Amino acid sequence: MLRIENLHAEIDGKEILKGLTLEVNAGEVHAIMGPNGAGKSTLGYVLGGRPGYEVTAGSVTFNGPEGPCDLLEKEPHERAAAGLFLGFQYPVEIPGVSNVQFLRESLNAQRAGRDEKPLSGAEFLKLARAQADALGLAQDMLKRPVNVGFSGGEKKRNEMVQMGIIDPAFAILDETDSGLDIDALRIVGDGINRIMRRPDKAVLLITHYQRLLDYVKPDRVHVLADGRITRSGGAELAHQLEREGYAEVVA
Amino acid sequence: MTAVLDLPSTREEAWRWADLGALSAAAALAPVAAPAHEFLDLPGARLLFVDGVLDEARSQLHRVELTDLPTSDHALGRRAAGKGWRLSLDARAAADPVQVVHVATGRENHLPAHIHLGDDAVAQVVETFVGAGWQNRHLSVTLGKGARLMRSVRLLQPAGFVSLREEADVGAAASLVAVFLGAGGQGSRIDARLTLGDGAFGDYGGALLTAGEQRQECAVRVNHAQPDGSSRQLWRAVAADRSQASLAAAVEVARHAQKTDGEQSLRGLLLHRTATVNLKPELEIFADDVKCAHGATVGELDARALFYMESRGIPRARAQALLTRAFVNDALERIGDETTRAAFEADADAWLEASLSRRERSVGSTAPRAVEILPGAEPTQLGPLGAAEGEG
Repeated sequence: MLRIENLHAEIDGKEILKGLTLEVNAGEVHAIMGPNGAGKSTLGYVLGGRPGYEVTAGSVTFNGPEGPCDLLEKEPHERAAAGLFLGFQYPVEIPGVSNVQFLRESLNAQRAGRDEKPLSGAEFLKLARAQADALGLAQDMLKRPVNVGFSGGEKKRNEMVQMGIIDPAFAILDETDSGLDIDALRIVGDGINRIMRRPDKAVLLITHYQRLLDYVKPDRVHVLADGRITRSGGAELAHQLEREGYAEVVA
Repeated sequence: MTAVLDLPSTREEAWRWADLGALSAAAALAPVAAPAHEFLDLPGARLLFVDGVLDEARSQLHRVELTDLPTSDHALGRRAAGKGWRLSLDARAAADPVQVVHVATGRENHLPAHIHLGDDAVAQVVETFVGAGWQNRHLSVTLGKGARLMRSVRLLQPAGFVSLREEADVGAAASLVAVFLGAGGQGSRIDARLTLGDGAFGDYGGALLTAGEQRQECAVRVNHAQPDGSSRQLWRAVAADRSQASLAAAVEVARHAQKTDGEQSLRGLLLHRTATVNLKPELEIFADDVKCAHGATVGELDARALFYMESRGIPRARAQALLTRAFVNDALERIGDETTRAAFEADADAWLEASLSRRERSVGSTAPRAVEILPGAEPTQLGPLGAAEGEG
């Protein structure tokens, strides 16, 4: 579903990804773990198309609901319409724009990109309320400005509410587990399973720690170090990393 | 050409950003046909002035009268002498909204006005400027004890200049709220001085949107003459192309005006790096037990917020429009009446749409031109963390 080949990318002339190759098939959950500064977040941003992250070599092919495409050719909002979702490590606060307005604009822009009819206000609210309930996010938070005054945990839940509403084919979740307490971690983990565990979907979980993987069992675990995948394995690799540390395992 | 030679020089601090040359240029513009004008769907008085003269056939005065008004000694205000409109309400009276539309077909026109509210009286006034040429207004306001006046003023002339000089005396526990929107192509100067009595409330603010070579400015001074007053000055400027928007807001607190609570928030948004926003928050405090918060920032749209929105599927131009609108609406949400607020928001939206679609077509950008920010201000990127608020 997502095929990354020999990806090189830099920020301000500094190379961060140095030939990264990875393939994620439909129906799979892959976890990427690695030490600080290895390039984990950069990978997420490059796939999302964030300005300032320049791809210097390599290719990314995305085979979503609309068929295969060159992901790097597309604008960020076109990647979203093609079925890609990027969960942010630090969700951004947007004063003056309500969650409801933001999500309705998002969803309807994506639908327009796919030649689908926009959802009415009532249809949208029904969908949004159901997702907020499922993730234990209070209804009134939907009316509040995007992420403004939300706690760290609420911001992460809000990311999952957004994912539930948008219902993407492929999700890249960047440290969705950071800042969550144990209960919130389980709720978010359940959310990922509920929304994304389907034969026609896939997930790339970028994480520092093994604990989220107790709730979202990965099919594959990769170690990202110094801009490359240095080791891949099954779910047991995450436990080994937790026990022995990156230095030990990667060396 | 008109005689504007007796206006102050821009070397005078209070006039440093005034575009005085534009006054005579505006007055020299070729005449235009009277543009379409529309009153909002509100009950109450409707005054239509064409080139400063009341069009009686198309006006309904209700409680407003036309009369000779005293002059001001202000450089702009004194030009608007003679016959003008007056709204005078007795104690505890409440009038339906008063709408005033000022249409100009060219050259220059000057008109004074006076609003007097007796104790506990309540009024709402909505003014709209359309057409071309130079329109100059002088307004004096006197509010009795506990009176409440809400004003909303929009400048929608495609060209020319609008200059407003306003002098307000806000009585004890009275409230004056004025919201301005500059969303036309005209130059402007909003020049005001408020004097607040015991426990009075004064709120002067708005949004100036500039494009092309346009220059708009506000220069507002709020004087806390008595204790326990509070004031709020919230101004937003959005500048595109090579335009210039300048916000100067001053708070003066007299020696015995203890427990004054003043708040200033001046923020500028540059849509292009060739545009200029000048901010000057000014505090002059002689009392020792006061709270005066002030914040001033100039920046561009928050790049992180833009990418966040794009990553959810919102195209870049739309994301820019949503963020810019949220920025401007901060200043418009003070308008209490829903019909009026919706009209002002629609005017701001129309400006944003025109300006942002032009922006999409423009190519390249050059280095930022001077951004001048005076004491207490600090340039930052706008965003949730962008507001450099301080207390002084």
